[in-house]
Amino acid sequence: MNHKEALDREEVIDFVMSCWDEDAGAFGAHPDHDAHIHSTLSAIQILIMQDALDRLDVPRVVDFILSLQQESGVFSGDSFGEIDTRFLYCAVNALSLLGQLDKLDVEKTVGYIRKCRNFDGGFGACIGAESHAAMVWVCTAALAILDRLDEIDHETLGWWLAERQLPSGGLNGRPEKLEDVCYSHWVLSSLSILNKLTWIDAEKVTAFILSAQDLEHGGIADRPGDQPDVFHTQFGVAGLSLLGYPGLNDLDPVYCMPASLIERMGLKKGWQALPRRTN
Amino acid sequence: MDELPLYSERPEWVDVVPIPQYQDVDALAPINYSEEYQDATDYFRGIVKTEEMSPRVLQLTEHIIRLNPAHYSAWQYRYRTLIALESSLEDELRLMDAFAIEFLKTYQVWHHRRLLLTALRSVDAAAAELAFIARALEADTKNYHTWSYRQWLLAHFNDEDLLWSGERAWTENLLERDVRNNSAWHHRFFFVWGSGVRKGDEDREEILRRELTFTKEKIALAPNNPSAWNYLRGVLGHTGTPYASLSPFVKPYTATSVEKIDVVDLDNPVPSEGAELPCVMALEFLADTFEQEGGSQIPKAVETWKLLANEFDTMRKKYWEYRIKEALQASEP
Repeated sequence: MNHKEALDREEVIDFVMSCWDEDAGAFGAHPDHDAHIHSTLSAIQILIMQDALDRLDVPRVVDFILSLQQESGVFSGDSFGEIDTRFLYCAVNALSLLGQLDKLDVEKTVGYIRKCRNFDGGFGACIGAESHAAMVWVCTAALAILDRLDEIDHETLGWWLAERQLPSGGLNGRPEKLEDVCYSHWVLSSLSILNKLTWIDAEKVTAFILSAQDLEHGGIADRPGDQPDVFHTQFGVAGLSLLGYPGLNDLDPVYCMPASLIERMGLKKGWQALPRRTN
Repeated sequence: MDELPLYSERPEWVDVVPIPQYQDVDALAPINYSEEYQDATDYFRGIVKTEEMSPRVLQLTEHIIRLNPAHYSAWQYRYRTLIALESSLEDELRLMDAFAIEFLKTYQVWHHRRLLLTALRSVDAAAAELAFIARALEADTKNYHTWSYRQWLLAHFNDEDLLWSGERAWTENLLERDVRNNSAWHHRFFFVWGSGVRKGDEDREEILRRELTFTKEKIALAPNNPSAWNYLRGVLGHTGTPYASLSPFVKPYTATSVEKIDVVDLDNPVPSEGAELPCVMALEFLADTFEQEGGSQIPKAVETWKLLANEFDTMRKKYWEYRIKEALQASEP
């Protein structure tokens, strides 16, 4: 939304660094929390956006990330062992941002994603799991980073994603579930990566996201009438950006970061958002 | 009800040095912890530092995860303590049963159970676990982690008689209560087609017939059910069966009203009374059938896609126009 200076840079950097877990060589979600791959990715993304990557002990972080990959190719989130394609995406994204993708066993990683592909063309959190829009996004984005979008049946998946749009205009995450603003990010980002954003009704989903705003206190909720939160606000704004909503900066749907930044880093992939409207 | 004293007030904890969270840190977005939670986690950090693994640690970690079921470090440390103390993992499972129902949507609850089952290595425990999962799903029929956990359990222990054999009846019961449960349909695909051949299901032609009959029946009951149509497509795709073999079944669903019939065709159940017709998914299926047949059938596919684009599924207009364009291009000499 072009208000990067709303949060003080030094304070943000200091907070991120205070989440460093010296034992593990990575970041936890909060000071004194054990390192986790999700918070490690977030830390890297924030440091990059604040132009403070020099504060990072890159070799240690890379070691931490790689240590989480299992034999099957999937990644666990931490030493606890929970596995999920979301963590696989965090690992691939983080390594890519650090310019360390060459350290990754790509075939092993892609092989796992391939096994998560379901009969409906979608992807789940692990082998055998139900197709879910959030998992579709992490798998699609990870494949995009690894230049392996050939693993996807673009037409079938594109159709499955388009079918997430309900009569209200909002998007759901699986058949017969309720629409939710956060799916605006996962579904629209996935469609954008597959260059099929035109397959949904942009006007209707835009209207749905906007109707989920709290016009008195600000922010966006999961659906109209509910209480807003930071999570749904971020994903609502992300969705609107991809839909060409005027006044917003371009979002890179692969990395979920500012498009201009990713482009400057030489990491831009061949995705397509809707043209930015002027009014 | 008396409030329990803080750990800092309990004499039996006086030997532990509590460690506060924000040492030398000016937090940017500090979490507004309750005094109870702060106290408990201060003591947790204290025992982690000294690597204590004792019964009181089990008490403390239980307290923390009740306050914050997502505290993955507390879960992890609890598990390690259970193993170190050689505690009864079965007792732990029973303790967690009540817990899980309350905190269903938390990943860690299910992950902890998975660790316990893995350590127990008992098919009987796994069978009891299937019953527990079934109860948990009563409360939240589409819980993603619960279904995923069930699949893991079945595949990991892989016992036909004690575990796999009950799946079909159980899943069918769920679909009877809610034919639109996508998770249940997905699970059916998993145990019929995606996890080896079930005992008794060796005749794959018979299985195909059985699954098609089942799916058609459910479509007749509630035609506008994406899960059933996705399942149908999945089965046909998996077995390499042409869509055209289902045309007699699908056609009535593309009409604008339910045709009155005198003779019931069990192989081709018609839409139930009151069904909203034409069924959009049936039109989509029909168009795909024409496209699959190719040649002279392409214009019929185009006609059907035009109906969808302009009348019955205008939300996805651009998608249907893409299908038309692709098919016409492909059929050009």
